Amino acid sequence: MALLDVQNLTKRFGGLIAVNDASFSVESGQIFSLIGPNGAGKTTLFNTLTGMYRPDGGRVLYRDRRLSGLSPERIARRGVARTFQNIRLFGAMTVFENILVGQHPHIRYNYFDAIFQTPRLKHAEKRAEARAHELLEYMGLSDRAFDLARNLPYGAQRRLEIARALALRPKLLLLDEPAAGMNPQETDELKQVIRRLRDDRSITVLLIEHHMSVVMEISDRVVVLDYGKKIAEGTPAEVRNIPAVIEAYLGKGALEKPQ
Amino acid sequence: MKPRLSIIALTIAALAAGAALLAWPRSTWPLLAVLGVLFGCLTLNHHKPLRFAIALALLLFFIPAAGTHNTFLFELVTTMGIFAAMSLGLNIVVGMAGLLDLGYAAFFAIGAYTWAIFGSGQASEFMSGSFPLPGWPFFYTFAALAVITGALTGTLIGLPALRLRGDYLAVVTLGLGEVVRVLANNLDHPINFTNGPQGITPIERPPIHWMLKPLEALGLKATPALAYSIFFYLLVLAVIGIVVLVNVRLDRSRFGRAWVAIREDEIAARSMGISLTHTKLQAFATGAAFSGVMGAIFAAKQLFVSPETFTLLQSITILAMVILGGMGSIRGALVGAMAVTLLNIEVLKSFSDFLIHLRQTGFVLNLGIASYNFANLSDQIEPAKYERMIFGLILVLMMIFRPSGLIPERRHRLELGEPKKGACQDTNGGACGPA
Repeated sequence: MALLDVQNLTKRFGGLIAVNDASFSVESGQIFSLIGPNGAGKTTLFNTLTGMYRPDGGRVLYRDRRLSGLSPERIARRGVARTFQNIRLFGAMTVFENILVGQHPHIRYNYFDAIFQTPRLKHAEKRAEARAHELLEYMGLSDRAFDLARNLPYGAQRRLEIARALALRPKLLLLDEPAAGMNPQETDELKQVIRRLRDDRSITVLLIEHHMSVVMEISDRVVVLDYGKKIAEGTPAEVRNIPAVIEAYLGKGALEKPQ
Repeated sequence: MKPRLSIIALTIAALAAGAALLAWPRSTWPLLAVLGVLFGCLTLNHHKPLRFAIALALLLFFIPAAGTHNTFLFELVTTMGIFAAMSLGLNIVVGMAGLLDLGYAAFFAIGAYTWAIFGSGQASEFMSGSFPLPGWPFFYTFAALAVITGALTGTLIGLPALRLRGDYLAVVTLGLGEVVRVLANNLDHPINFTNGPQGITPIERPPIHWMLKPLEALGLKATPALAYSIFFYLLVLAVIGIVVLVNVRLDRSRFGRAWVAIREDEIAARSMGISLTHTKLQAFATGAAFSGVMGAIFAAKQLFVSPETFTLLQSITILAMVILGGMGSIRGALVGAMAVTLLNIEVLKSFSDFLIHLRQTGFVLNLGIASYNFANLSDQIEPAKYERMIFGLILVLMMIFRPSGLIPERRHRLELGEPKKGACQDTNGGACGPA
């Protein structure tokens, strides 16, 4: 059974068709990459999957239930977490608090629990804090726990975004260019992290990435988008030899012999 | 300054200021010193119990003791307290949740009218029953009810916030705030709910004969006016205590975190499963509730309410308190309320008096190279008349030199005590609080 089933998904902005009849399905436990040249519609596809945009056609099934049409918060509560291409942390909050916000749907107590500091609140907060520490440890951020998120160096901000997404306890994690701006060493660490997410936590990862080394090394399956259309799908090895893909990336004629 | 040194200095300053206030209860300087010490109690970051004790000593001993000789002190601090509750409430909406609300005085009006209508003969205009309702126990019931009516109106006025952001929200809340005032002004016909522009008076106060005995035991033969001053002073202090407690607790709960999260980044917050609808309405309702209860107390204290009290200017004043103190900062909201109220009803007035005195006595300021005869000072120059200009100036200067306020917001979530030393070293923009 596919964890995520994208069927004929279409998203238009006026005359521009950003995502055009895209279909693919992500199996549970896969690391699934979405690649394509700039402006191919990858991020739009992410935004449509997570409810930021309403699709103009097609539908999305997640664990056999319809996801398309739900609000972002409902989709998050279903267990789909995401990170953003341009990092979106809560800058004025500490690293630790960012993780607590990520756990929001799982921290269950009401308003009056908060005012009267009931045992229920203390228990829930304690558990959330323990989990936050665990996640920070996992992502190597423990020593910056009480720094403001906006003061973290770039690479750490990227990791914090992943940690915050993990706090939601997702089954499916959407990473939008997590390696953007990372140096080679950080990129290597990121590959390890993504593999570990799948192996230790059985999280399925849907990845947008421009670093071909990341995509080729860790993906189980790759979909290539160009002008919103799916032009290829397969294992990394298969995809990289498909002429249409090379053409999309390098331009028409790239395959022809130089004269 | 070293923590120990500064707390010792604060203690000495508190005793000196307190003693000075007892010695000269009518003078402005000791009062400023006392408020300065209170400000210090709010600013320092260590010795929490001791700071708390100093603040309590000032608020529960020195100020009331001096106040028996000068009831104006009670009036001033009570007004500060009323505004402090409101700035704390507005701080939730504007400071924490980042929703610019320019109609905040409306909730104060709702709270005030809640008790004013039923605590006076006004209610018999449109319903049967014997009014005014007696102060005991109905004043307290209605104060509690004002929390609810405040919260409900807050939710109602918060509804546009679900679709609007920034300036647009500010314009709509401004309009809705004015709607409440205009309603209060015009709901005297066809059915007389609010008595229109004349306002409602007299309003019942809760009986306080139970307080006279303990006061006598303290050696104070209090006139009813003085006893009521003391009563409202203590009542407002108690309510402020509760409001601060609720504020701190909400701030540190998932609700406070959700407020700040939507302020920081709505999109990221939503993708963390935070519902904008719930979070924004909760912020509006909570903020309005604090204002509501103070409205009811204000009505009883003043014996009179009229629509004139709840103008746009009032909303802006409260907003100025929040901005001056530091958006999102609870201690900042308290300090902002203290500072602005003080400026409004004490400092500018006494400065005006001072200038008038100089003018009347024909004081000549002689600086050697230049001299000025104050008798020539135009009687147009009277600082109390320029309070709005002075506010504007203060706000502009704040925006330039200290945009995050007197006591900037300090996010903390520490179950392991204080953050480790140096955790704040690379902070930009004073987000770690005054060093």
